[in-house]
Amino acid sequence: MSLSVQIESANGGSQRVAIAGRLDTHTYQELDRQLAPVLETLNKSLVLDLAGLEYISSAGVRSIFKARKALAARGGKVLVVNPQPQIQKVFDVVKAVPMNEIFSSVAEADAYLDAMQRKVLEGDDNE
Amino acid sequence: MQIVLQVPQEEGQLRDLVAAIEGVLAREGVPGPVAHDVQLVTEEVVCNALDYGRVEGRGQEISVGIGIRDGLITLEFRDDCIPHNPLQHPDPDLDADITERPIGGLGVHLIRQLAEDVSYRREEPHNILRVVLRTDPHGRTA
Repeated sequence: MSLSVQIESANGGSQRVAIAGRLDTHTYQELDRQLAPVLETLNKSLVLDLAGLEYISSAGVRSIFKARKALAARGGKVLVVNPQPQIQKVFDVVKAVPMNEIFSSVAEADAYLDAMQRKVLEGDDNE
Repeated sequence: MQIVLQVPQEEGQLRDLVAAIEGVLAREGVPGPVAHDVQLVTEEVVCNALDYGRVEGRGQEISVGIGIRDGLITLEFRDDCIPHNPLQHPDPDLDADITERPIGGLGVHLIRQLAEDVSYRREEPHNILRVVLRTDPHGRTA
């Protein structure tokens, strides 16, 4: 009934972090604590693998918001991969993450980031 | 069926409360996705009440009454904090850009969205928040 946070070694254009268990009022500080050093130095996007996440409350969503805000300031994104249906439902209700930044596999998220990167390199980014 | 559970106003007790409610719902055969929503509503309501109780240094106990009948689960949360109607909070702006979006206000929004009906009343010295959910996850009219 607790949270596990696994920070993988950074590869290519993204940093992957797998979160499993429960992200709620009891555990969000643990995620904040573990993400803080990552967010401080990260100069790319964060891919949150939520396959093992069983429960999230607004306290957990706030932690994800904090990460999104921190990276947005530097042009980075937080992509979400593999959310279970009950997690997706909460995300939908509070619009925690834009729909087009939620993926069903890490490979899909990486492909998205690669495409984004190419767009930037080609000076094609008209947004 | 009707049951009342009580916990002191401490965050650590929320787990016990949620576990007790889960037990009740499982016994009554409430489907998993609905039990999940009840759990989430409970966490959001109790955390909200605790936040206010802490600020004011008041509040000793939160009780939750659970009623299940006619396809509806009625949760009645009762705390003895200062008068506080969580439903008065304005809805958060969900479409604001992430850099401008405030990080709070999501709990009450979640409660409103997951529930069939939510109402608040003050019965001195208690705040009473009544949340109604459907026992059938697909029976939502909506």
